[in-house]
Amino acid sequence: MDVTVAEYIRRTVLKIPRDEIKTMLQKWGFLSETQLQTVNFHQIKENISQDVVQLCEENSADIKQAAALDIIYNHIYPNKRVWSVYQMNKTGEETEFFDLTDFKKKFKRRLRSALKNVTINFREYEDNAIWIRIAWGTPYTKPNQYKTSYVVYHSQTPYVFISVSVLKSNLPLLCQALVVASNYHDIREMELRSHSLNSLKDIVFKRYSQNFQTYYPRPLQEGNVAPESGDLRIIQENRNEKERIQRVNQEVFGDGPQPKLEFAQYKLETMFKSDPKMDVLDEKEPFRCLVKFSSPHLLESLKSLAPAGMADAPLSPLLTCIPQKARNYFKIREKKGFFPGSFVSP
Amino acid sequence: MEPGQGGLRSAFSLAGEWRGKMEEGKAYSPDGVFAHLEMLEARAHEAAVKQEEMEEQEEKLARLKARVQELRLQRDELRAKVDLQQKGQLGKEGVVSDPAQPSARAVLEWKIKSVKAMLQIFYLTGISGKLTKRGVCFCISTAYEGTYLDSYHLDLLTKAEVQIHRHSVPVFIPLEQIAKKYLQTDIRRFLSVLSDHLNAYAGRRYQADQLQDRFSDRIEGTLQRNSLCNLLVFNYNVSRKSKTFPFNVRLLYGDLCCSLPTEVTVSCTPDAPASLAETAAAHSDLFRRVALHKAFRSFSSAEGSVDGAP
Repeated sequence: MDVTVAEYIRRTVLKIPRDEIKTMLQKWGFLSETQLQTVNFHQIKENISQDVVQLCEENSADIKQAAALDIIYNHIYPNKRVWSVYQMNKTGEETEFFDLTDFKKKFKRRLRSALKNVTINFREYEDNAIWIRIAWGTPYTKPNQYKTSYVVYHSQTPYVFISVSVLKSNLPLLCQALVVASNYHDIREMELRSHSLNSLKDIVFKRYSQNFQTYYPRPLQEGNVAPESGDLRIIQENRNEKERIQRVNQEVFGDGPQPKLEFAQYKLETMFKSDPKMDVLDEKEPFRCLVKFSSPHLLESLKSLAPAGMADAPLSPLLTCIPQKARNYFKIREKKGFFPGSFVSP
Repeated sequence: MEPGQGGLRSAFSLAGEWRGKMEEGKAYSPDGVFAHLEMLEARAHEAAVKQEEMEEQEEKLARLKARVQELRLQRDELRAKVDLQQKGQLGKEGVVSDPAQPSARAVLEWKIKSVKAMLQIFYLTGISGKLTKRGVCFCISTAYEGTYLDSYHLDLLTKAEVQIHRHSVPVFIPLEQIAKKYLQTDIRRFLSVLSDHLNAYAGRRYQADQLQDRFSDRIEGTLQRNSLCNLLVFNYNVSRKSKTFPFNVRLLYGDLCCSLPTEVTVSCTPDAPASLAETAAAHSDLFRRVALHKAFRSFSSAEGSVDGAP
């Protein structure tokens, strides 16, 4: 077995939390159950990884199997990477059949025709997600297994989720290969980025909870009804306002959990409007300013702002339009014309 | 009382002084604050007692009035019963119907119930809607052969031209194409076409899921499918005379509004016996006509009978 492959497998095993190593190796399926029995998974990780590499030696693992293990690790821990969303479009109207083998063949052929030194591996999952792992080399060097990009693509959708990590120069090549393989015409990067891959999927596939008005009775949610028990001598002075805020919040955010984003960034290119007497940058040039909201769970925290009394309800549409517009990077420019104020660039 | 002494004493308003005086038994001076307070207290007590008595009286009165009402009502009911009986409705053993005039409240409740039922029927037809401030919100529900599946929503704006504001339609359904063709001109057709697409997709997915859930033992390897479930490729086993032969099948659903395949290719390995070619053709035909999981169910039962035959 190649020394680099052995080292790569060892380092991959070291990344896995100790309690998960056995299950992940079982998912991998490269080592037999009897082989796995021989490993003591309670020793320190350093030793576990050595044992695993030893077993892989016996089975003569090659880079393909090592890459499969890496994909499995990244599929279970996708939140360790930053994912960007790309949108493809096409003008044709033919029905898409999406043959998986055809897709894989076209992708590999396109990528390899431009750059011979790449390692490409695929893995399909139950939810129609295709995971592609690409290790990049250069025309003169072998692929570096530690410089990898990941692509997640759901068939027959125009969205691709890419985690590049390094070597952004290979991005155009990657995009081209995707467009060709999936029968689209072009691809552009959306202004949507996050660590949580599933939340990005929820936003663009519209799987998050939106509040639609229907007559169909929805199951009553116990959580909404405040318990009547409690000291009857205490009167809620602004009960009406509280209920209004709850209602407005529910209309805007829906009932279910929000997609998980870590930040929203607003780049202002608006004119600074000051008191004319102060003569500070008075409409001479745009006031460049960047506002960034960050949070472990931005949308949930926005949802709780009004009920907590920290903001007025309804919140600014600039904040609440994030899932619907599928973006968390905005550029706000001056709206030229009759109405002063700003407008969000498309 | 010693007025003279009281007058001098009143100049001193220290509490201790007064307390001392109380002990001496000289607190009851006409100028004393305590005396005044005590008098007020006594007055208040009297007033409270009187108030209580009055309230008790009023309560009693109210109770009696209520009782009178009750009894009057009872009397009226009994009178009505007697009247009905006299009118010869003795046939109904003691079960006397309610007074002929239903109350306004009951009528309203009945109206609300029937409207709700009507709305539920609309929902069950598959396409229902509700007017919103800026337009309409449609709900398309899908079902396949008696099983209700997911619902999808469309929030339309109708003020200027008809536009889709928000929706929960899956991204692989060609919504933009359908909207471009029909949304502005014929909204009924738009909804109908969209509903066809969604229902067919729901049906195809249901069949594929059923196949994977209930016949996983007959499928070799994985079932290759895609988001729209319009191309399925898999291998399954056919047993003939206690030997199993692998069949490969490719189902292509060319019509996105249809939940049955347009193209079926069933192939077996080259070394399989010739009789299996007939079986392959029969299966191919069956897949074209019948739902996937039902086709498999009929295989199982057919094979049972074939193997049983000598």
